[in-house]
Amino acid sequence: MAGEAIELFIHSQGAKPRVAVAGPHEVLRDVLVRAEVITEGQEELLVFVGESEEALNEPDETEDGEDGHAPADITLTIEALELHRHRHVHVHKCKRVAVEVHFNGRTKRHRFSPATTVSVVTKWARKKFKLDAAAGAEYVLQICDSSKQPRPSEHLGELVEPPKCAICFNLVKEITPQG
Amino acid sequence: MDKPDQRLFEADLASAEFRAGAQKGFWGLPGTDILAEQPEWPLRILWAATAPRTNAPDRFYLHLDLSDYRTAPPTGTFWDPSTNSTLEHNKRPKGKVNSRFAKVFRTDWEGGRAFYHPYDRVAAKGHPQWATEQPGLIWDSNHTIVDYLEEMHSLFYSGDYIGL
Repeated sequence: MAGEAIELFIHSQGAKPRVAVAGPHEVLRDVLVRAEVITEGQEELLVFVGESEEALNEPDETEDGEDGHAPADITLTIEALELHRHRHVHVHKCKRVAVEVHFNGRTKRHRFSPATTVSVVTKWARKKFKLDAAAGAEYVLQICDSSKQPRPSEHLGELVEPPKCAICFNLVKEITPQG
Repeated sequence: MDKPDQRLFEADLASAEFRAGAQKGFWGLPGTDILAEQPEWPLRILWAATAPRTNAPDRFYLHLDLSDYRTAPPTGTFWDPSTNSTLEHNKRPKGKVNSRFAKVFRTDWEGGRAFYHPYDRVAAKGHPQWATEQPGLIWDSNHTIVDYLEEMHSLFYSGDYIGL
């Protein structure tokens, strides 16, 4: 890391992600206050570091699983939190986002960290519904009762609006362009 | 002075979404060792990384026309940095037969000058029915170059991409 400032990507509910530059010895809380993501003394928000991929290691037979991604101690420094490696910081009121995915009349559920990308949820869903890698690639997540297909890099925390810490998706096949 | 569509594009290049993808090595702008200078606006050259395939490059360059950016979707095709011209068809990425990948990057439509995808201006204009068939992929002014690049990324990392 050599003492160099790094770019951090800060995600919070209901807002577009933003870039913040921080030095290795800065305390994360100070960085978040400077970026106006939190205010001094604000305690009710949870801060997660990194992007969670835990669900991809969940055994196939597990039903209604839950991530173990713990909120970070924001009194620690950028260096101590290894943000040069993690890069992403998520500030949220939800400790978990309850996701249900519907496909072919079946439903799979998991309680994800809000720091989970749609890409990871999609891979998890393809795995849980046992879609083989080749065919599964054409299946994407679409928010229930809408035509919105969030981008793979979007995080669950950016898609839900507390106090509702839950979201419903349908796993749909992308249409091959014709005509 | 930069034009409004150019300013909007430059702002999107500075966005967290674009920079986060670039930091992960998913996409980016060519370095000066590849491209001394970007072409005049509304043309821009970017690259998108690919999943490893035997004898295939680790990225493809995209030559995009971004006229009326955001209001109108981009259009464009592959670019060859070694010749500074459109990439020859035999050097373009190939997909499994009849796959979505193969359709998007087909070269038997419009001479391969545009991508066969709802996010491509030429393709979308010629296929108004796609708006109802693929409502999740309708380009509007809320879309950015990141949406476009994420589509490229998903395709290049799909199992349907087989290399050259």
